[in-house]
Amino acid sequence: MSTRILAVEDDERIRTAVKLALEDEGWVVAEASTGEDALTSFQREPADVVLIDIMLPGIDGFEVCRSIRRISDVPIVMVTARADTHDVVAGLEAGADDYLTKPFAPKELSARIRALLRRARTSEVSSPHLRFGDLEIVPEEGVVRRNGRDVHLTKTEFRVLVELAQSPGRVFSREVLLERIWGYGYFGDGRLVDVHVRRLRTKVEADPANPRHVVTVRGLGYKLQV
Amino acid sequence: MRPLRLTRRLGLRARITLAFAVGALLLSALLSATTWALTRENLLHQRENSATVVVYRNAGFVQQQLAPNTDVLRLVSNLATPLGAHPSVYFDGEYTPLTTEFGKDALPSALREAVLSGQPARMRFELRGEMQLAVGIPIPSASAAYFEIIPLNDIESTLDALGVSLVGASMVTTLAGAALGWWAARRALRPLSGVSTAAMALAAGRLDTRLEASEDPDLRPIAASFNDMAQALQDRIERDARFASDVSHELRSPLMTLAASIEVMDNQRDDLTDRARAALDLMVGDVVRFQQLVEDLLEISRFDAGVVRLELEEVHLAELVMQAVSHSTEADVPVELDAELAGVVVQADKRRIVRVIANLLDNAAKYAGGATSVSLRGVEGGVQIAVEDRGDGVPEEDRALIFDRFNRGGAAGRRGRSDGVGLGLALVAEHVNLHGGEVWVEDRADGTAGARFVVRLPVEEQE
Repeated sequence: MSTRILAVEDDERIRTAVKLALEDEGWVVAEASTGEDALTSFQREPADVVLIDIMLPGIDGFEVCRSIRRISDVPIVMVTARADTHDVVAGLEAGADDYLTKPFAPKELSARIRALLRRARTSEVSSPHLRFGDLEIVPEEGVVRRNGRDVHLTKTEFRVLVELAQSPGRVFSREVLLERIWGYGYFGDGRLVDVHVRRLRTKVEADPANPRHVVTVRGLGYKLQV
Repeated sequence: MRPLRLTRRLGLRARITLAFAVGALLLSALLSATTWALTRENLLHQRENSATVVVYRNAGFVQQQLAPNTDVLRLVSNLATPLGAHPSVYFDGEYTPLTTEFGKDALPSALREAVLSGQPARMRFELRGEMQLAVGIPIPSASAAYFEIIPLNDIESTLDALGVSLVGASMVTTLAGAALGWWAARRALRPLSGVSTAAMALAAGRLDTRLEASEDPDLRPIAASFNDMAQALQDRIERDARFASDVSHELRSPLMTLAASIEVMDNQRDDLTDRARAALDLMVGDVVRFQQLVEDLLEISRFDAGVVRLELEEVHLAELVMQAVSHSTEADVPVELDAELAGVVVQADKRRIVRVIANLLDNAAKYAGGATSVSLRGVEGGVQIAVEDRGDGVPEEDRALIFDRFNRGGAAGRRGRSDGVGLGLALVAEHVNLHGGEVWVEDRADGTAGARFVVRLPVEEQE
């Protein structure tokens, strides 16, 4: 079955051009021009990746993002107007996995989508059962349990946790995590890591404000506390 | 013409102060002179009158005593004269003074003639540098005359003392006048200095600067028109900034469609004819340029709108420079790093610093035959990033202009390269300023031809 991408964009011309470009990559592209359409379409037939323009008439991109997150851990790429606005952080907190700013080259979009798909599919690395205090990670099954109960993580959050857990105690810089998980080089946006770590903590930490597992090493990055 | 130029060069405040001082000087000088002259006349007059009374009395005494055989010298020495006065008696065609030096020759001849012709007279004159009064009374009954010379030098010294105090008072008055003038000028000019401070604030970019409404009817129109002007300026600048931003925003959607469509066509380039492929290549190249221009315009319009802020994060400085160079159009340029800076972590906006380095290298590639080196050095209070190239250098007069928007410099124009957009260096300046740093261009330090662009950033080192 071929990869299915849901593109949510209100500008018909952009939507059509992006659809053509993505179809050249061999993907199936479903279109939606409003947030409402997007949610209906996603519920009818889930996609493998969702592309959402933040600026939508009716319910906005952030809300679409949150609504999809409630029912799925599908990778979401959002499109914002500017990289240096609060939109980026707001979108990531709403559950997006990555972002692009307009105007972007379709090649860049395909690269992002491929990185997300790879992440979504290769999270089944054969790793033994990992245990850190109250936290239990089963990479093979893609499962994380805290105090024996399943914790629901998105695929990207899961990859961040597994990346840290495979070398417990080692400090990972933002750049390294950006490269390993998002496929960015040195110039990835460190906020991607920061927001994902923040979201991860709300799920795996007893007290997210005083993390015991995923800790910050000032000036260097993050590590998983043994 | 010279004094005129001087006054023109003097400030308004200095001129008002000067006018007050000159006025005070003239007035006090006039008053002092009048006082002095009146006092002098008054004192002399009094002295003359009292002296004359004594002289008449003595003349009467002489008249009584004078007989053909009288010892005139004895008579003269018996007279009761005021201290310092010198009497002398004319009798029998001879002058008999009490003191020899104050005899006939000391008396003014005009006085003598008047008295000997039977006319009492008095006269002020100068003898041996001192003011004297001479009084003569004819004694017709004995065909004689009585003379007395009375010194007036004590009045002179009184008048001198008065003169000194009057000059002193004039000087004090002049100084007081100058001080009053300075104070008045300051008061009068205070609203003006408010205007100038406000104008400077406006020029520095604080467009919301306004003057306080004034109660003073003379100043109210100035404040009102200044504020109107400031408002118009602010509206205009904001409109321009918004326009640039709006246009760039609007351009992004069609650009997005264009970029995606061209990519789809490019995927099918093997099916195109040679001519179509050549046209497609032109489009691909220009869409990239167009995209860069729109991005730069948006970036710079955000600076104009004043909505930019630094996204500070902890950055490993040496690594940032290395990475920025290796991802630029000039990836092979050697990078010289100061050993002291190895491992130094600073707070910086990574994206902006990367753009600064990328734009400088881009500039070198486009207009100066490529960069020859990039260096990172620690300097006092910060760090310095320098990019050197192998071009012709930047002439002195272009060095400030080169950071202006759409200014590609004279040399670039001559070479006729047109693939630059002209915002690169302007953005470098904006990004650097936002970090509180500065950027300039100079000659290469080693003396060879070429420019050296230097960025200095203040940094607070992390532990």
